[in-house]
Amino acid sequence: MITVTINGKKIELEKPVTILEAAGMAGINIPTLCHHEMLEPYGGCRLCVVEVEKMPRLQTACTQYVIDGMVVWTETERVIEARKAVLEFLLINHPLDCPYCDKAGECDLQDLVVKYGPATGRFAEGKRTHPESYDDPIIVRNMERCILCARCVRMCDNMQSASAISITNRSSKSFVEPFSGGRYDCEYCGNCLTVCPVGAIMSRMHKHAYRPWLIDKEIDTVCSFCGVGCSMVLQVRANSIVRAVPKTDKGVNKGLLCNRGRFGYDYVRSKKRLDSPLIKKNGNLEKATWSEALAYIANGLKRIKEMHGGDSIAGVISGRCTNEDGYVFQKFMRIVLGTNNIDSAAGFAYAPAQKFFEGIFGQGVTANSMHGISNSDGIIAVGGDPASINPVLGLQIRSAYQKGIPVVTIGYMPGLKRFSANRLITQPFTETTLLAAMVSELKAKRELSLEKSSFEGIIRTIPEVSINDAKDICGISADDMRGALDSMSKMNNPSIIIGMDILQRSEGHANLLLLAALIHLLNGRIYLLSELPNEQGLIDMGCLPDMLPGGRHLTVESFRRRYEEFLGVEVSPRQGLSLMEMIDGANSNTIRAMYILGENIVSSIPNSTYVKGALANLELLVVQDIFMTETAQLADVVLPSLSWSEKEGSYTNLERRMQRLERAVEGNGMEDWQAISEISKMLGFDMNYRSSRDVMAEIAKVSPLHKDIIYEDMAEGRCMWPYKGEPLRHGVSIEGIEVPDVQSLMMRPDKNRIYVGIDNPLFHADTLSSNSAALHSISPEPYVKISSALAEKLSIASGDYVSISTDAGSVELSIRIDSDLPENIVLIPNYFDDKGIFKIMKWKMHPVTKSPVMDFTEAAIKKIKSAAKEVSAWISLRR
Amino acid sequence: MERFLLKNIENPNSADIFEYIKAGGYKALSKALELKPSDIIDEVKKSGLRGRGGAGFPAGMKWSFAAADPKKPKFILCNADEGEPGTFKDRPILEKNPHLLIEGMIISGYALEAEYGYIYLRGEYPQAKEILENAIRQAGEKGYIGDDVLGKGITFHLNVHQGAGAYICGEETALIESLEGKRGQPRIKPPFPVNEGFLSRPTVVNNVETLANIPYIMEIGADAYSKIGSPDCPGPKLYSVSGHVKMPGVYELPMGTTLREIIYTHCGGIRSDKKLKAVIPGGISTPILPADKIDCPMDFINMPKHGSMLGSGAVIVFDDTVDLVKVCYRAIKFFEHESCGKCTPCREGIGWLRAILERICSGSGAEGDIDLLMEVAKNIMGKTFCPLGDGAASVVQSCIKNFRHEFERHTGKHAKAGV
Repeated sequence: MITVTINGKKIELEKPVTILEAAGMAGINIPTLCHHEMLEPYGGCRLCVVEVEKMPRLQTACTQYVIDGMVVWTETERVIEARKAVLEFLLINHPLDCPYCDKAGECDLQDLVVKYGPATGRFAEGKRTHPESYDDPIIVRNMERCILCARCVRMCDNMQSASAISITNRSSKSFVEPFSGGRYDCEYCGNCLTVCPVGAIMSRMHKHAYRPWLIDKEIDTVCSFCGVGCSMVLQVRANSIVRAVPKTDKGVNKGLLCNRGRFGYDYVRSKKRLDSPLIKKNGNLEKATWSEALAYIANGLKRIKEMHGGDSIAGVISGRCTNEDGYVFQKFMRIVLGTNNIDSAAGFAYAPAQKFFEGIFGQGVTANSMHGISNSDGIIAVGGDPASINPVLGLQIRSAYQKGIPVVTIGYMPGLKRFSANRLITQPFTETTLLAAMVSELKAKRELSLEKSSFEGIIRTIPEVSINDAKDICGISADDMRGALDSMSKMNNPSIIIGMDILQRSEGHANLLLLAALIHLLNGRIYLLSELPNEQGLIDMGCLPDMLPGGRHLTVESFRRRYEEFLGVEVSPRQGLSLMEMIDGANSNTIRAMYILGENIVSSIPNSTYVKGALANLELLVVQDIFMTETAQLADVVLPSLSWSEKEGSYTNLERRMQRLERAVEGNGMEDWQAISEISKMLGFDMNYRSSRDVMAEIAKVSPLHKDIIYEDMAEGRCMWPYKGEPLRHGVSIEGIEVPDVQSLMMRPDKNRIYVGIDNPLFHADTLSSNSAALHSISPEPYVKISSALAEKLSIASGDYVSISTDAGSVELSIRIDSDLPENIVLIPNYFDDKGIFKIMKWKMHPVTKSPVMDFTEAAIKKIKSAAKEVSAWISLRR
Repeated sequence: MERFLLKNIENPNSADIFEYIKAGGYKALSKALELKPSDIIDEVKKSGLRGRGGAGFPAGMKWSFAAADPKKPKFILCNADEGEPGTFKDRPILEKNPHLLIEGMIISGYALEAEYGYIYLRGEYPQAKEILENAIRQAGEKGYIGDDVLGKGITFHLNVHQGAGAYICGEETALIESLEGKRGQPRIKPPFPVNEGFLSRPTVVNNVETLANIPYIMEIGADAYSKIGSPDCPGPKLYSVSGHVKMPGVYELPMGTTLREIIYTHCGGIRSDKKLKAVIPGGISTPILPADKIDCPMDFINMPKHGSMLGSGAVIVFDDTVDLVKVCYRAIKFFEHESCGKCTPCREGIGWLRAILERICSGSGAEGDIDLLMEVAKNIMGKTFCPLGDGAASVVQSCIKNFRHEFERHTGKHAKAGV
């Protein structure tokens, strides 16, 4: 026990902490500038000096640790003099442009000068000058205001691990600058903005737009971009979001955000937002009233149901919809329309992956705390770059690596390039072979008995693939493979992070089995990467063709009966159609009507031409969206919906944490669940929800997983898996697991062909990012990434334009070169209208998972024109 | 007195390993390798050797801290970033007697069980780099450096790392940061380098001259060594004397030689037999002394009693033609240029001092400027992250304290043409 006395107050401590922390515990505030709770102590500003008895010099409270018996005084005359002196020093070069500075009102320096003075400075000479830099589309640097606390640099180096900025020069001539010069070549996380105590680093998005004290309200909510579900505060003025900021003590992100979350919110006030219902008349979508549109939908659905039966109608929901939307939507489909034809893009990979692992390891096996990643004893990432798909989760991996935890990455992961000692970049689509070789090696080291788990019997029967075979197929040296295996064999409870790319393959099923074997052999914890904020929630709400709310399969009769009893209607035990089957059904006229909630399926599933044709074939297509997407353009009725910041409800993130979404601004539309319950009423089934809270109350009654849950539980962070309910308990189910033959584990891509693959860019995420001016300004142009070897072979340089054609179509794109890529694959993101990969990628349906299989689409590349100079000048090679 | 550190330097080939061995070099290493590492540390402790970089920390004690830390590998770093104005005492060792330093480093590497050594060399010493690298190569060829030092199964590798011209990198933690490839800024202490230094491993950083003393201690033994010079901080000391003396240069003399003896006996007195006005005794970060204080023995114990510090032993002598306001201004310009910018008082305060002194020197000194200088210096003194700020503040404080009348000549109603 350590006893310290601060300002006469005795404090007992278990372990040594800094004087600053000890004082904080005692409620004594010591002023700081360079100190930040997220960062390591720095000791630069010298503002936190205190007097410690028996020490002649003043000590900085942020760096000095307490020892037993220490006596500290924090506000003596000597201390106050020293602080005043520091502030006077800082104001030598800090401009007194507070009336003009956006930081005024929330500026640490301003507040401190108010408290300690001095009222006037004695420095008579001129201040340093440093013109404000507007070289970057997002970040403005005003280095005259910089007080060189280095918080931004430490944030960038140690927390974001991007190392994009540095202090340049010495003495009072020092300033902070990106290594790339004027424009940033960074991840645009903006976490430097969070920590800047003065107005030196600001966002252009709200520059001179408002004063901090003119904020109307601050709303605690969750980010709308990916499955991490970062907590954030939306600052609102005049019904408009002026800023999204994190809170250091809150949520899974604890003060961190990524570029999408921090800057991408501006899609909410895009001029392209839909503002009125539309009905197709004479081939054109024309404005209509809500009553007209809702009646049109109700009549249409009623007619089609009567003529062709409920199973001729299908519903698709987006992973951006809330749990409440999802629940009401599946209820509408099942109860009102009488079909289980309900699915979402989560059904492509996330849901089947989860289902597979849960079958073997039990329900809830993917529910692992994200903070566990940096505390595990090893990390294996496969199937997509976590640092791009789920950036804040990616930071956990980076921080683990920096702590010395071994990281093995399988596949192309630019965001973890500097954070993995074992980088295994395979030939296209050969991860299966590599995983099989790993399983073969690792299982040889363990005794597998059926007594432990019947799954071990399956592992035993997985065909052997030798390192030698894998070496040739995967294009990875035997040494590299052994190195990775060596790291892996030392892991006792690693985090295994799985991206969905690996499932959307011809051998997707084999990949799942191999991963399950790996997880079993290494005692791994599973993390499934999730591109959308509520994929998990849709699964939990039963927005799947085979699942009911509460994580219960349709065929669990006892539960189905309970559900029917509760709702007073019978539910068919017959599995509905998957999304891909719906498209095929629309094409073949077995599906007559589709109701699409927020999903732009023309652009988000492969082979757009085919999808468009299928949708055009429908008798009735209803689309609820916030934008006139390519899918909405094909609709018979379009309903404008509300964006994430305009609605109430909840999201469930990839670690199965339920979090509450709060309304920050008023939108011009209807909540998705609200529109559906109106239509439901017209069809004779009353849904009497006054608010999303009513919906949640019903969920809490129906779903055994969400027993008695209320919003207040979520705000308290008490809604981790299994929320407050009961998970389904079952034994290991190995029924239906097919063990692949050795040939299918050793598929060989043709080295002489070029394949197309999906790029997961950090700066984009579907329709939302393409409507965010901010994200567009960071990455304005569609592109294709190719390897340096291929670029050389085709004499293409960075920034050149090429045409890429496949059997499904062709796109023209500018080139980015990345030496990490294998030679025979080109990667294209899917986030630019008419220029995304799904325009040219073919798919077939996987017989087991019913997911689209997207590998082995071959392409031809032709150069069209050389780079325009101004474009090639800044094209980033980092990602 | 017999010279040890500067032994043989008149020989034009003194840097060559054959000349060094011929003059008895590397014998101390053979002798040391017969001892246990801990015995060497005890011997260095017993010798009373204090660090020659300026702080005067007992070298043996520093070594024993690093030796006691179980983390591996350990590192021995030589601080050859000699950059303070007036200081050039290490240069003759680096350029004329490099094997003495190398021998000292191998012995300390053995004593600390450090397998890697780095010489962090001042960027502006390009000749020394070439000479050192050549000497290290020669030592490798002779089997003094490498994977099996003198067939004893000991590993020691030595490299030269050239600094990029920052004075702050002479501060040991900034030196380590720079060696790690980072921006040269001092680190928070504790942890001290002896526990978490280079690459977070136990690291001893010693000055060139300190390491060059090690072979001598091995050769004559701690007892004999401790009898040289001042009893509390014994050994030979290099004094680099510059300024208005007849024979400026580097002098190897017993620790504790008085300033008077250095100036008048060894350096031949003041040029043109003018009057002595002031002396900066240990590099410009040490307080200036007026002429009447020169009977003070130059060592770590006695100098503070007389209002200054031994520092690096860089004696700068000013005769009565010198305007000390200008000296002060020039010194502060140096400190402003070299402030790393990490902490506020040093970064902003020294710039302010420079601005005031510039004003005074240009003839626009105001009435209150001297008090303002003292006030600013007071606000820097003792409040900076590392001693660089203290050094700057003490120059101003000591100049004004001892020579206030000179400042008064340039301020207020006296301010005319400036300095």
